[in-house]
Amino acid sequence: MSGVTEGAIFTDRPRTGADKRAGLLSRMWKQRADYLYVLPALIVMMVVIAYPIYYTIDLSLFRTPASLQLRDKIFIGLDNYTTILSSASFWKVTWQTLIWTFFSTLFAFLLGLGAALALHREFVGRGLLRALLLIPWVVSAVAASYVWKWLYHSDFGAIGAMMVQLGLADQPINFVDNINTALPSLIVVNIWKEFSFAMIMLMAGLQTVPEQLLRAAKVDGANAWQRFWHVTFPHLAGVSTVTILLLMVANFNSFIIPWIMTGGGPAGSTDIWITQIYQLAFGRQRWGVAAAYSVLLFLIMMTLGYFYVRALTQGDKERAGA
Amino acid sequence: MTIATADHPVSRRPIDGWRWAGRIFLTLLLIFTVMPMIWMLITSLKTGFAAMQYPPQWWPTEPTLGNYTRLLDPTNSVGQEFLRYFWNSLWVSTLTTILAIVVAVPAAYAFSRFRFPGRTVLFFAVLLRNMFPAVIFLVPLFILMRWLGLVNTHGSLVLTYLTFGLPLAIWLLKGFYDNIPIQLEQAARIDGATRLQAFLFIVMPLSTPGIIATAIYSFIGAWNEYIYAYTFLTRHDQMTLPVGIQRFFSENATDWPGLMAATFMMSVPVVVLFLVLQKYFVRALTEGAVKH
Repeated sequence: MSGVTEGAIFTDRPRTGADKRAGLLSRMWKQRADYLYVLPALIVMMVVIAYPIYYTIDLSLFRTPASLQLRDKIFIGLDNYTTILSSASFWKVTWQTLIWTFFSTLFAFLLGLGAALALHREFVGRGLLRALLLIPWVVSAVAASYVWKWLYHSDFGAIGAMMVQLGLADQPINFVDNINTALPSLIVVNIWKEFSFAMIMLMAGLQTVPEQLLRAAKVDGANAWQRFWHVTFPHLAGVSTVTILLLMVANFNSFIIPWIMTGGGPAGSTDIWITQIYQLAFGRQRWGVAAAYSVLLFLIMMTLGYFYVRALTQGDKERAGA
Repeated sequence: MTIATADHPVSRRPIDGWRWAGRIFLTLLLIFTVMPMIWMLITSLKTGFAAMQYPPQWWPTEPTLGNYTRLLDPTNSVGQEFLRYFWNSLWVSTLTTILAIVVAVPAAYAFSRFRFPGRTVLFFAVLLRNMFPAVIFLVPLFILMRWLGLVNTHGSLVLTYLTFGLPLAIWLLKGFYDNIPIQLEQAARIDGATRLQAFLFIVMPLSTPGIIATAIYSFIGAWNEYIYAYTFLTRHDQMTLPVGIQRFFSENATDWPGLMAATFMMSVPVVVLFLVLQKYFVRALTEGAVKH
C-alpha cells in the first residue's frame, strides 16, 4: 500500500460571520487549549517534514563531498540545476516518467472504474470478489515485484511459456531485459498493484448517485449508456478527479517496482525520476545534484497538489451551494 | 446489446447485455489479479530443480513444503534470519500503529470538533504531506537520524512511519468523528462530565471502528514500507522483511521457490488482517468519500 490511500474528500463547515470578525490573535488565544490536541501531531510533522524540505532546498545550492561531511560543502548557486537541465539523460528520464505515469494512471483508473460499475450490483459472491480484487493493493510492492519478476523470467517465466504454448510467440519473450518491452512490462505490474485503489474509491463514489434519479431516467426511457453518461458519471466527477490526481502523484513517485524489478535498467530504459534521484544520491553520492532534482520534483508535486486542493474545495463549495 | 435480450424473452430486465459485459470483464480482471498469486503459491511448492524447467511444470510433480519448513526452522541460518526479519517487521509495525493511534486520535478529534483559527490550513498541510515522495525526505532524514543517533535502529523507522502515516490516520479518524453527533457529547457535558470525560467515555467507544480501520492502515503501511528501511538499516539483524528478503536471495538469486515462499509468508499477515477486518477497512474509505 503506497501513498495513494488518502482519498480525502471532507466537508468544512462554513464559518460563521461572527467568527470572521473577531481578531485573529484574540481568537487564537481564546482557543489556545484546542491547539493542545493537534500539538503532538504537529511537532512530529515539523521535525520530520518541514525541516527536511528546508534542508533539501538548502543543499541543492551546494557542491557536497561524497562523504556528506557538510562542513566541506561549497556554495555554487544554481549550478546543480543547470547541470540537471542540460544533461541528456534528464530529458530521457522525464519522458519515461511521463509515459510511466500516464499509462499507469489511465489503465488503473479505467480498470477500477469498470470493476466498480460491475460490482455495484448485488450478486452472490460479490464480497468475496471485491476482497480478492483488493489483495494486490494490500500486499507490499516488494512482494509484487518479486512475483512479477518471476512471472516475466526470461527462461522459466510462466507468461513467456504460456505465450509459446498458446502459439503467440516462438520462444519465451525476454520481457524485462529488453529496452523496448521493459517499461511497458513494469507498467502492467504497476496497474496490477493499484487498480483496486481506483476501484474502491469509485465504489464509494457510486454510493452517492441517487437511486431515484437513475430510476427516473429509466422511466423516461434512457438506456444503460445514457443513464451512465448523464446520471452516474457527473456524480462521479469529483471522486474521479481526486482519484486520478492521487494516482498520478503515486505513480510519479513510484520507486519500488522499477527499483526491484530492473533497477532502472536495461540501459536506463526504466529509469524514472525517483530511481534517478536515488541513484544520484545513494549510488553516486552526488547529494547536491540529487537535492536539486528533488526540489524540481517538489515543484511539480506542488502544482499537482494545488489542483488536488482545488478539486477538494470545489466539492465542498458545490455541496455548500446545494 | 439489445440482440442478447431478444434471445431471452423471459429476462426481466432489458439491460442483460451490460450485465454480461460486466461479468466477462470481472472474470478477466479476476484472472489478471489472481494468476500471479497462484503462480507464486505453486512455485513455492516446488524444489529448486523443478522450478527451473522449460516448459514449466504447471503443477509440481513432487509438491514439497520444504521451502516453508526451511524458512520457519530457527536451527538453520536461513530460517534464523527470516524469523528475525519477521519479528523486526512485527515489532516496528506494531509500535508504529500504537503510536499513530495515540497521536492521531486527539488531532483528528480537534479537526472534527473545534473551530480554532488555522485548522483548515493545518489540515490541508497534513494532507499535502502525501504529495511529496519519500525520496525528497530521504537524504535530510538520513542526516537527521544520524544526528539523533537513530541510524540502524528501529527508532528511525518508527519515527518516519509515524509521520508518514499520520495524515491518513488523522483523515480517517476525522471522518468517523464527524459522523458522531455532537449532541451526545453536549448531553454528557450537561450531565456534568468534563470535556475530557465526554471524549473518553462517549466519543472514544463510538469511534472504535474508526480506530480499528486506522490501525489496519498504519500496520499495513509500516509492514510494507521499503525505501526508508532500505536506506536507514544496514545491519542485518535490524532489517525488516521487505529489505531482508532482498538481501537473502540476491546471493543465490536462483532460489526462486524459496523467494516465492518468503514472499508468500510476508504477505500472509497483511492479507489475513485485511480479510478479517475488511468491513472496517472499506467502511473507513467509504465514510470519507461519501460524506455529505
